[in-house]
Amino acid sequence: MPHATRPSTNESAFVLSALRENLRLDSRALDQYRPISLKFSSDPDVYGQTDVRMGKTRVICNVSCEVITPYSDRKFDGVFNINCELSPLIGAGVEIGRPDQAELLLSRLLEKSIRRSNALDTESLCIIAGQKCFHVRADLHVLDHDGSILDACCLALVAALQHFRRPDYEVHGEQVTVFDVREREPVKLTLQHQPFCVTTSYYDAGTIMVQDATLLEEQCREGEIVVSMNRHGEVCQIAKYGGVPVDALSVLSVVKQSWEKVKMMDSVVREALSKDERERDKGGRMKAELSAENERVMERPVG
Amino acid sequence: MPLDTSTYGLAHLRLDGRRWNELRRIHGQISTQAAADGSAYFEQGNTKLLCTVTGPQEPKRGGGSSRDQSNEAKVEVEINVAAFSGMDRKKRTRGDKRVQEMQYTIASAFQSTIFTHLYPHSTITLNLHVLSQDGSLLACALNAATLALIDAGVPMSDYVSACTVASAPSSDQSLDEQDPLLDLNGLEEQELPFLTVGTSGEEGKVLVLIMETRVQVGRLEAMVSVGLDGCRQIRGILDGMVREHGKQVLESRMS
Repeated sequence: MPHATRPSTNESAFVLSALRENLRLDSRALDQYRPISLKFSSDPDVYGQTDVRMGKTRVICNVSCEVITPYSDRKFDGVFNINCELSPLIGAGVEIGRPDQAELLLSRLLEKSIRRSNALDTESLCIIAGQKCFHVRADLHVLDHDGSILDACCLALVAALQHFRRPDYEVHGEQVTVFDVREREPVKLTLQHQPFCVTTSYYDAGTIMVQDATLLEEQCREGEIVVSMNRHGEVCQIAKYGGVPVDALSVLSVVKQSWEKVKMMDSVVREALSKDERERDKGGRMKAELSAENERVMERPVG
Repeated sequence: MPLDTSTYGLAHLRLDGRRWNELRRIHGQISTQAAADGSAYFEQGNTKLLCTVTGPQEPKRGGGSSRDQSNEAKVEVEINVAAFSGMDRKKRTRGDKRVQEMQYTIASAFQSTIFTHLYPHSTITLNLHVLSQDGSLLACALNAATLALIDAGVPMSDYVSACTVASAPSSDQSLDEQDPLLDLNGLEEQELPFLTVGTSGEEGKVLVLIMETRVQVGRLEAMVSVGLDGCRQIRGILDGMVREHGKQVLESRMS
């Protein structure tokens, strides 16, 4: 991360001494997450757009798809790409188009958690083997960085994938008809499981473990362990890239703690999804036509 | 064993004849490149790596003291995977993310092991060449780099030793009877969920832990403990190599 934002010695000493007394600067418990706010696009025709806030950290994700020819060595699979970008909005020294270390790790961890673990079943994206398939593309933009961007990105991505609807299609022999969203109801994607990432930062040679660190806490940490799991207790990936060595038992307890957090995140996503579905489902497709209610634009009066 | 589960159940022997807790043949040579500050050649089964260390030296991009505010040396790692190292000839692109991630892992691991505070404003460069790949690439790279750094005389807190562990495929056996497999070769790595664990120090504290495949949380404890034991064995082997080399150097000096 950019040098300009490195904390002063006073700040880091303060954070460390507070942690040693079991205190965090925002009065949270050491393993407590900030309140997570997950919003979908308010436009009824748009699916797969999420806006996640974890405290001040803000990430938006957009899932889109198109029909392309599959790779020649993977005839029966569709294509799924995750593109993650850190924008200069989050701090000086971040340039679009020039991925630095942090962006590389972020994209690799997301790939491992979601693509490698087959969260999205790519075989279900195939239309005609070897000729046509769907190319699902997820674009993540980090708009504000106050720590835990990986956790927020993963949550935004999984929620967006669960929310997204791809166009329906029909195959007659060699002919494929892909229906527009207005002709036929779009179809949900097949997700085999929903992985979430939990980042645990540690201090004092692994004796203090903190989850959902803010940017300041992240800059003072001695190391981090990233665990991706789904709510069934399957660990999709663990990454501890160096840092101060830690007891093996601590690593295992971190995995157990992460499981609890993953269940929490999963329930947040489910709740938001069901609420959104209820709101969109009023009257089905003919909602605009059947309703006699005028759309009221809620705006504060000027002046 | 991964490709044919029935044979494992019969004699508990893997495809190459090893049992679950046996390492592959490990061979290492220190100081293979006379021109480099430190160098080592390390083999673990058919995975062969060459590592050279340059440094500590002035950072190459001498521009701007503002870039180098820290009072510590910086560890830079470059990995060159030879095109002939795998089963098919495949030239790696420069921006390969997997290789970049491995570079970051190794750099980060040694950043906390080397006494970097002794060399402020310098760079220690590790160059790894992968000559043959047959599983456990990251683990071998860490082991090779340890030997090369010791040859270069860079002060470290302890050896960094690493190995891979897999969880055996679930057949009818219950969870407790599943023995995790130690030190995987290429075929086993492709088929089984595995993790790479790197330790530093006698007590075996976990320095690096990378797992990229899906595993049930209940299996983790067994895998990690077997991995730590494997690392302890490897540490002993690395130590033996270093002492052997030291003896040779002393004897050649005395004669």
